[in-house]
Amino acid sequence: MEDATVSSPCRPERLQKLAVSDTGFVFDPQTGQSFTLNSTGLMSLNLLKKGTTVENTAACLAREYGVSVEVASSSLEAFLVQFGRYL
Amino acid sequence: MQNMFNKAIWEPPFIQPHKIGEINKFGRRAAKDNICDTVFGVPVKLLVEKYGSPVFVTSEKQIRENVRRVKRAFERRYGNVIHGWSYKTNYTSAICNIMHQEGSWAEVVSEFEYEKARLLGVPGERIIFNGPNKSKAILERAIAEGARIHVDHLEELHTIESIAIARGSVVPVTLRLNFDTGYTEPWSRFGFNIESGQAYLAAKLVALSPHLKLTGLHSHIGTFILEPRAYAEQVRIMCKFMRELEGNENIQIESLDIGGGFPSNNALKGVYLPPEQSIPAISDYVNAVTSALMEGTQYRRESNRPLPQLIFESGRAMVDDAQMLLTSVVGTKRLADGRRACVLDGGANLLFTSYWYNHLIKLTSEIDGPVEETVLYGPLCMNIDVVRHSIHLPPLKHGDILAVHCVGAYNNTQWMQFIEYRPNVVLVHEDGESSIIRKAEDLSVMTQQDCLPSHLQIPFLDIGRNGRINKIASVGQIEAVS
Repeated sequence: MEDATVSSPCRPERLQKLAVSDTGFVFDPQTGQSFTLNSTGLMSLNLLKKGTTVENTAACLAREYGVSVEVASSSLEAFLVQFGRYL
Repeated sequence: MQNMFNKAIWEPPFIQPHKIGEINKFGRRAAKDNICDTVFGVPVKLLVEKYGSPVFVTSEKQIRENVRRVKRAFERRYGNVIHGWSYKTNYTSAICNIMHQEGSWAEVVSEFEYEKARLLGVPGERIIFNGPNKSKAILERAIAEGARIHVDHLEELHTIESIAIARGSVVPVTLRLNFDTGYTEPWSRFGFNIESGQAYLAAKLVALSPHLKLTGLHSHIGTFILEPRAYAEQVRIMCKFMRELEGNENIQIESLDIGGGFPSNNALKGVYLPPEQSIPAISDYVNAVTSALMEGTQYRRESNRPLPQLIFESGRAMVDDAQMLLTSVVGTKRLADGRRACVLDGGANLLFTSYWYNHLIKLTSEIDGPVEETVLYGPLCMNIDVVRHSIHLPPLKHGDILAVHCVGAYNNTQWMQFIEYRPNVVLVHEDGESSIIRKAEDLSVMTQQDCLPSHLQIPFLDIGRNGRINKIASVGQIEAVS
């Protein structure tokens, strides 16, 4: 796996601090805020936490869910923008 | 969940922040309070299995209790009271007959409604005939059958007089009035205006005619009125007008009809407080009406004259909470703005009132998952087909059933025959048994009024009614290919 790229609006060190459950419950110890992720959001966050690039995360999503890489990429981009607002 | 290619179903990644402790005007409802697995005592699953989805479910017990409660409240305070069941609120035959069995008269506003009441067996003298469009033919019938005619405009008055002359009889009439109570938007398009003198002029015309007799006054000040004092003011104005007429003309008013407009326990869009806090008790309305009436008719008691009969035409308050709609989820999606959305098999086509109410909608079984803001769409290919713009629900899936509360008023009459068949309407009887009171529509219902000219009997000129391809010599000359 490669390092998370700077193209993500979410800082890698912030992602690392997040506690993520298998069911999609996310706790941010820095702010005390909690979240719920849907299944694609959970898969994306887990991959990004492991250091997967945004591009490769989108490719994994596309493979797993049977959608085009373009669809997965644009959706992931929107997700990261949304996520970035909370971190 | 897997799709047909054994891949997990795609949904764009989404994160929902938890808003614990945020300011919420209604507080957060416990999930279990939001589950309604029986409707009027019958399990939801059983109803949907037996009658399909969507389905309207009506409670006979609730209707009877509603009517009895309101009538008792009026009768305790005034005595001489008639309830006119507003057909336009819900003219399903079984519902009308429940009302009639409870002693309510029929309050109709059109030829169709008049004919329906008569078809059900309501005698003419127990029909209150309102509405701005009464043809001469239906007026002739209604007058012959002794219905109470409420006059909306001068042309109608002239028509009634001409019928009376032709019959050689005196026809009793009620004048519909409009005026400003100071509480509600005046409905000046209906009836005769008091402030401008139009109403007095109409009364004078009736008094001068040897063929007409003014016996009643009627007004309807609006709909879903949240202020009981509006009714007190209405009655004060009507009584003042009655006294003025009786003082100046040879007139004796026998009935005062205050129309309808009492609210139901529904949540109007744009009203901040929930219905249980914003809607006054029915006794508040009854007190307002009867107190003003006792005061306004004091002059009658002083001269030992009989008090006028009080007529009220409440519809919504009698039936709204006696009907629910069960509707199923047919699809789910995540909107581009991140909100969750569901498509239901019943929408604005069945719930006309969803345009002005935020109906109470409950789950009918426990559903796990985080509660999220959700948009509920109906089945129409119209962007305005929205049952709820925003409701907090757990993740619904195909087949989940929702129970929409308080739908008994104005849906079974204003529903749209657009692109969907209208579903079964079911009645839960007082003994808990259920039966269909209006059958679901099918293709024959939808096409029975169509007429096809002979040259339009077939859709494609090269395909016959038997489905065989025909050889076309020229348009209009077809021979079947053997």
